[in-house]
Amino acid sequence: MFKFKNQKIALVLFLFSLFYLIMSFNLPRYPYVPVDSNFVPIGLGFILMGLSVGLYFVKDKPMNVKDKMNNKIPKQDLFVLLTVTFMVIVYISLIEVLGFILSTAIFVFICSWFLGYKKHVLNLLVSFIFPVAVYYLFTVGLQVQLPKGILPF
Amino acid sequence: MKKLVGILLLGLIMIFATACSNSSTGNKENGGKFEPKKAIEITAPAGAGGGWDTTARMAAKIFNDEKIINQNIGVVNKPGGGGAVGWAYIHSQKDPYHLFVASPPLLLVPLNGQSKYDYKDFTPIANLIADYGAFVVRADAKWNNLNDLFEDMKKDPSSITVVGASSPGSMDHIQFVKVAKAAGVDIKKIKYVSDQDGGALTDLLNGSADVYSTGIAESVEQVKAGKVKVLGITADKRLEGDVISDFPTAKEQGIDATFVNWRGFFGPPNMDPAALKYYEQKFKELNDSKAWADIRMKNGWNEYFMGHDEYIKFLDQENKSMKALLDELGLAK
Amino acid sequence: MDAIHGLLTGFQVALSIQGLLFVFIGVAVGTIIGMIPGLGPITAIAVMIPITYGMSPAIALLLMAGVYYGAAYGGSASSILLNAPGVSESVATTFDGYPLAKQGKAGKALAVAAIGSFIGGTISIILLTFLAPFLSKIAISFGPPEYFALMLLGLTALASLSDGSTIKSLISATIGFMFATVGIDAQTGTPRFTFGNIHLLQGIDFLIIALGLFALAEVASLILNRNEKAIDQSKIGSLKLTKKEYKEVAGTIGRQSLLGFLIGVLPGAGGTIASFLAYLSEKRLSKHPEEFGKGSLRGVAAPETANNAASSGAFVPLLSLGIPGSGSTAVMLGALIVLGVQPGPLLVNEHPDIFWGVIASMYIGNIILLILNLPLIPYISKVLKISKPLLISLIIVFCIIGVYGVSFNVFDLYLLIGFGILGFVMRLIDFPAAPFILAFILGGMMEQSLRQSLTISNGSISIFFTSPVALVFIILSFLSFLIPVIQIIRRNNRANSAISKGA
Repeated sequence: MFKFKNQKIALVLFLFSLFYLIMSFNLPRYPYVPVDSNFVPIGLGFILMGLSVGLYFVKDKPMNVKDKMNNKIPKQDLFVLLTVTFMVIVYISLIEVLGFILSTAIFVFICSWFLGYKKHVLNLLVSFIFPVAVYYLFTVGLQVQLPKGILPF
Repeated sequence: MKKLVGILLLGLIMIFATACSNSSTGNKENGGKFEPKKAIEITAPAGAGGGWDTTARMAAKIFNDEKIINQNIGVVNKPGGGGAVGWAYIHSQKDPYHLFVASPPLLLVPLNGQSKYDYKDFTPIANLIADYGAFVVRADAKWNNLNDLFEDMKKDPSSITVVGASSPGSMDHIQFVKVAKAAGVDIKKIKYVSDQDGGALTDLLNGSADVYSTGIAESVEQVKAGKVKVLGITADKRLEGDVISDFPTAKEQGIDATFVNWRGFFGPPNMDPAALKYYEQKFKELNDSKAWADIRMKNGWNEYFMGHDEYIKFLDQENKSMKALLDELGLAK
Repeated sequence: MDAIHGLLTGFQVALSIQGLLFVFIGVAVGTIIGMIPGLGPITAIAVMIPITYGMSPAIALLLMAGVYYGAAYGGSASSILLNAPGVSESVATTFDGYPLAKQGKAGKALAVAAIGSFIGGTISIILLTFLAPFLSKIAISFGPPEYFALMLLGLTALASLSDGSTIKSLISATIGFMFATVGIDAQTGTPRFTFGNIHLLQGIDFLIIALGLFALAEVASLILNRNEKAIDQSKIGSLKLTKKEYKEVAGTIGRQSLLGFLIGVLPGAGGTIASFLAYLSEKRLSKHPEEFGKGSLRGVAAPETANNAASSGAFVPLLSLGIPGSGSTAVMLGALIVLGVQPGPLLVNEHPDIFWGVIASMYIGNIILLILNLPLIPYISKVLKISKPLLISLIIVFCIIGVYGVSFNVFDLYLLIGFGILGFVMRLIDFPAAPFILAFILGGMMEQSLRQSLTISNGSISIFFTSPVALVFIILSFLSFLIPVIQIIRRNNRANSAISKGA
């Protein structure tokens, strides 16, 4: 029943619209306006529900040859993507702890290395100069504070 | 190569870690006197360019320019949740180097149930300035004073639309509700529309809305140009200034209600009394400086200084009256 | 002839050596700030306010005008080169700008953007100079019902944005609209879909969605193709347009200067809507709509011209009425007030020197923008020559700075990653991102104006039909929705019958 890609997507969207609708119906009421805050969400929920049913019956389009990346990601690439995602998450979680300069330097260096950047010296240079330059451009030049972290300066 | 980099990094981190621990042990107070030993951070719980941000940046600038405080003062923006994100951030700070700027939303947002921290969770230091609400109608409107308007509102509330720049339960709405209630209007029947992004004044001018609830500064130019008239302001007594002195207060029209859009500075929870005293003194100096008076005039802000003790009493009272209004509207959580 | 006389006095200030120097600095700084995602005209002006404190108002205004234009233009560079729109005004530029960059035509795309911005900006300043008093009447004639109708027109036009499956675009748009409903509802103060998280109370910043769906999703594709050789590296920086290409974009730039200006005049509409409507209308008008989205120069010219024209148009309500029509003009208003200038209906009479000084500085700002940027394009385009692994890491950092520099909290960064993943998944299953972001931006405004209208009318929908302007827009919306649907149905029928005949 959910054999084709579109049918699977339709199922996910249908469940999402159901979830969204339930939340919409549970929004608190505000008695002083003719049209309450749940009006548009309820409408959107039903529209998405309708569209997901429609999608169920649309046949999958044969894949274009040029969109070959769209079709299937080789396992190895998937691993690379997940690793980079993981690195970004670690980077984000450290940004306010270590500070912008340090966390960015470490991230840029390791991430570029991991993706196959061979010029290590240049990499090291960029990894340190780039965040320092950006940091001072923001904090001194633009008065926009980036996390200082553990660096003493 | 890998090892080398690793060792280098580790070394760097250790150097920074020790440097850091030095600086944090360096600011213990001795003998009840407080003198800042590192840079001070003022948080504006909103994005760049707004009222909180401007007040914070201007105060920081005068503090440094006039050498009232000799430590560097930086302004940090923590926008989100109408202030709630910034307050949560300050609440997590323990040292007296984190101040923030606040105004009535610090009362209203928690009362609306949108922030778990309210003014009682912080240390009020000093209030500096105030603005007042103005109720504006088109120049050709049939009402000439607040009583005319409120009489019509009592007769047919559905025929009059009030517009403001913020959502129900926030400042523009509540200042109007407060005065209307004192005039005997059923505040549950007030038709209020919120229009952000500069649309509110347009709505008034093109007739989509009938009354615009806003600040005094926003209405002056339009009054001068003869496009609108101010039916009443929420100040205690008339203010000084070209045109502004013509704006009647609600009070003199027999409606016993005021609304102050106060703006002042707060510190983290349970601030060290010595530090509190220090900052209170410094804000007093700021308030009395000519440079600040200049800023006040340029921005159209009114002087409204309150020290710590007076501020707390004021806040308690304000909070009570806000809560009563929100309770009646069913908005309080 | 008051205008010409006033303008001449304005130019006297602007053309002094000091004046030119400050415009130049302003444009340069503005362009750099604008290139960083998240930092657009609003931040650029806010940053300048303390710097101009104490300067003479005329000179300070020159600096501001330079920054304003520079920032508006700078946003197009990251859209075109990195698929990372830094401000909502330049989202539509990515639709064709980035495909052009991928084809090795980054220089051309940037040149078209610069020329379009220049002409759009200049035409609308000319209109502003002579028609401001008249146009200010149009500016205030738009109330909630008219805005609702305008947004509706924008939203229904998105059906034409899809070149693949219409149902998928509609689903994208619906979900985009759903994300716009997150946060405190302005009409009732009710928090919606926030799950008790304070970071969601003010809704999701457009930037998080734009950088996630466009830039980060593109980073994922770059990672997959990181070992492929880039095509035609040598041509990236070339900005030479052929005669044919000039002809192609000339009409677009002319039309969209006008449209952009008119939309910019409306308070609250602004550059974003102008750029989307410009893109959609050019696609409609084009004889080859299928080229749009794949690297059409007209697809770059349209939004870039319109958003710059709109940013000048936004000065009409600001200068003539004292009504700031957008976030950036609101900050500009604050800056003017600090300088001792109170914009409003009386400005022209009370301070003609300042009124005309602002306008003259806008002319100069635009010209310097062009002179400064055209020679720089080849250098800016070199970004694309950075080795892919390094470029990927730097784009990620770039996006993170963009979001952090606006929201200053880590939660929004996780949200950014979430939208990056969503954007990548959408690519995998062929759901277009453009309708998503369009519906996110227009939908939020449409919902508010719909409900404002209905509160004003006490719930009666007649309010939309008694306003002639709203009525015209609503009829246009129906037509723009129905015509492509009918076309699609016809095409499908024909295709189906062709298949059945073939079988």
